[in-house]
Amino acid sequence: MKQFAQWLSTTFLSVFIQNHNSWVIPAIQSIHIVGIAIVLGSVFMIDLRILGWAGMDQTLRQTTRRFGPWLTGALWLMLATGILMVIGEPVRELITFSFWLKMFLVAVGTLIAVIFLGAVRRHEQYWEEIGEKRQAIKWLAVITFLIWACIIILGRLIAYDHVWGAWSPAEKA
Amino acid sequence: MDFPALLQWIEASRLATTIRESLLLFPLLESIHVIGLSLVFGTIAIIDLRLLGAASSERPFKRMASDVLKWTWAAFALTALTGSLMFITNASVYYHNFYFRSKMLLLILAGINMLSFELTLGRTAHRWDNTRSAPPAGRVVAVLSLAIWISVVFAGRLIGFTTSRAKQAAPAATDTSLEELFHK
Repeated sequence: MKQFAQWLSTTFLSVFIQNHNSWVIPAIQSIHIVGIAIVLGSVFMIDLRILGWAGMDQTLRQTTRRFGPWLTGALWLMLATGILMVIGEPVRELITFSFWLKMFLVAVGTLIAVIFLGAVRRHEQYWEEIGEKRQAIKWLAVITFLIWACIIILGRLIAYDHVWGAWSPAEKA
Repeated sequence: MDFPALLQWIEASRLATTIRESLLLFPLLESIHVIGLSLVFGTIAIIDLRLLGAASSERPFKRMASDVLKWTWAAFALTALTGSLMFITNASVYYHNFYFRSKMLLLILAGINMLSFELTLGRTAHRWDNTRSAPPAGRVVAVLSLAIWISVVFAGRLIGFTTSRAKQAAPAATDTSLEELFHK
């Protein structure tokens, strides 16, 4: 991974970003933050609807139809800006514990979102009534929100990977 | 007490010192700040897009506003609290920072923009509640709101880059430069 990171840092795009890092990196990071705001905002509204705390004039299907496309669209935006950040600062990103734990949680969070949005689309009636029938779905809503909150924390911790002590590969280097 | 002395007194306070000397507290405050601002921007964007008629246009505006904006305010309180706690750790540096000042100005503009809406169209919302988009003035407010809040995010990120609090705290190993790599 270290070799890959070092190779990546010599590629044309990476060198370009490094040479213009005073504005390119903050700009990409800011777009990445706007992206997570759309992701977290969408997850939040869907979760609040499942919990019955907001959007009760809408069905669950209407809620996922409203926020699902924004959620998936923003996830693509985050993937694009995220890749640019890795290319721009490969060593800072890839040689950290925070980054890989974050990627794992992103995979889990995205998988839950895709399966859930698909399930609500296919079995509309079943999911409309599930809130009353199964308490577990409310826990899933809370856990999903917490996963995305942890993803944000880990994203920030990439810059402070030393907080992990011996778990951080940067510490050993 | 003059103002620079006040800033230094804030920095020297026990709370500021505790945060500054902790390895974990500042990154954690930053993270909660990002979670808070994500919810602020995410929920405000929902309302702005409704005003523009770009999303949720079939839902009554007032119903949506009362549904969503209470969460916006709760998230804003969280963001303001964590922002203040970050500010006190290095008050005089932040106070003189160009992007910090820009961000505060933008937040004031966002407030004025919101008030100008609440005091005019907000009061007559029952008249256009069910139309696909708000009257033109409402759409202008929505575009300004989106532009201002995106600028707030950019200014906020630039504060971190220009005050270098993070760089002081992080060990050199995570800041490996290109030259160092080539030498290894």
